[in-house]
Amino acid sequence: MKQLLPISLNVNGDSYDIAIPPWRTLLEVLRENLGLTGTKKSCLEGQCGACTVLLDGKPVNSCLLLAVEAQGKEITTIEGLARDGVLHPLQKAFVEHGAIQCGFCSPGMALAAKALLDRNPNPSEDEVRHAIVGHLCRCTGYFQIIEAIRDAAAEMARKDVQA
Amino acid sequence: MTYLRRLPKFEYVGARSVREVSDLLARRPDETRLLAGGTDLILQMRRREVAPRYLVGLKGVSELAFVRQQEDGGMTMGALTTFQDIETSPLIREKYGILSQTASQIGGVEIRGVATIGGNLMGAQPCSDFPAPLITLGAKVKLVGKDGERLVALEDFFPEYGRTVAAPDEILTEILLPATSKLSGGCYLKFHDRHAMDMTITGAAAFVTLNDDRQTCSELKIALSSSAPVPKRVKKAGAFLQGKKLTEDALEETAALACQEAEPRSSWRARREFRLELIRGLTKRAVRQAWEEVMATANGGRK
Ligand code: FES
Ligand code: FES
Repeated sequence: MKQLLPISLNVNGDSYDIAIPPWRTLLEVLRENLGLTGTKKSCLEGQCGACTVLLDGKPVNSCLLLAVEAQGKEITTIEGLARDGVLHPLQKAFVEHGAIQCGFCSPGMALAAKALLDRNPNPSEDEVRHAIVGHLCRCTGYFQIIEAIRDAAAEMARKDVQA
Repeated sequence: MTYLRRLPKFEYVGARSVREVSDLLARRPDETRLLAGGTDLILQMRRREVAPRYLVGLKGVSELAFVRQQEDGGMTMGALTTFQDIETSPLIREKYGILSQTASQIGGVEIRGVATIGGNLMGAQPCSDFPAPLITLGAKVKLVGKDGERLVALEDFFPEYGRTVAAPDEILTEILLPATSKLSGGCYLKFHDRHAMDMTITGAAAFVTLNDDRQTCSELKIALSSSAPVPKRVKKAGAFLQGKKLTEDALEETAALACQEAEPRSSWRARREFRLELIRGLTKRAVRQAWEEVMATANGGRK
């Protein structure tokens, strides 16, 4: 089987033209071809959420998606969350709340949280829990993460009022 | 290990139309698989349970992503309708709430955003969640092949474990649902380990239509997930309640009949006896909740 497909991906606002075999997943391409190792690789079965990225703002498991099929979409990885060296309010809240211990689940958690807050700026605790149901964390016990997300939402709302 | 967990090799074509999919499939039906959301197929490939030579990507076939009301009051949805579409579509929530309820019980947002109804049906897994509620609604599926198209009742779609009646060159393009009466309502309940993320150990769907007296059952359909080699409609259980009021005894008997008709197996997830207990409990609760939904909407006048 010959196939090297020329594909073009838009990741965090940058466009990348590469040639890959069709059986490469988006996760593999992000980590191995583009060197964006913030996206984590764990269960490879859609169970843990560590590999979550945003596709046109919607969270997906990049381990279950072929890279060819991510063309034409805006891909956001954890590397795209901070702007000009300034952490996103979610990232800040994660640090402040001790929502990060080993950090392996954090990129996926943060992106799932971003997708939630983008469509629902003021989620209830229950809505936060539902948004991260597809994410496993072995360290924190989840409470810190839920608090961090709700705190970030409040913080972002405050900023919005000021702006 | 890492190496093995890469996907097996294949050639890929991203299709744009049903026509194109059909042509590609007809060329090498046995070596080709269709890739919709991929939440099952990619997994099976990674585990080397299947290793198709050709993959036809469906994500670009936009004509298969729709939810449409029909003139007769029924509804049809394309095979690429995602679980999330089903969960959030106002039309489905209003008329076929049992389907939105089913969608909201599956996986996390990441899975629901990509997994499709067509993939869920064509996978023909007894633990898939959508067949049971769709069977209780009287759903049909449209199959398109090189010799034309046909409609098949979903109830007759799964002849045996892991198989559908679709020929190798046929694609499932849409799911058709009949209109529902104002005096009807449904409920799907399931049992699984880790909330939302695990395989369904057993599930029960009930769809009930009441008589105009609003007290007795005109028709009750019950279907079960993970309770037999195929998604299973339990007809005797459904028929038992016909013409009757909802009493504790009648409910008990309905559930007992459902257990008799079910053929659950023992697996590492659950033993047969445990599944039977679940079928009994879930059937009772699903029928009761479906009934209560009719009462609520009939009196509150939602539909
Ligand atoms: S690595 Fe993708 S969900 Fe776990
Ligand atoms: S912080 Fe370690 S897995 Fe979540």
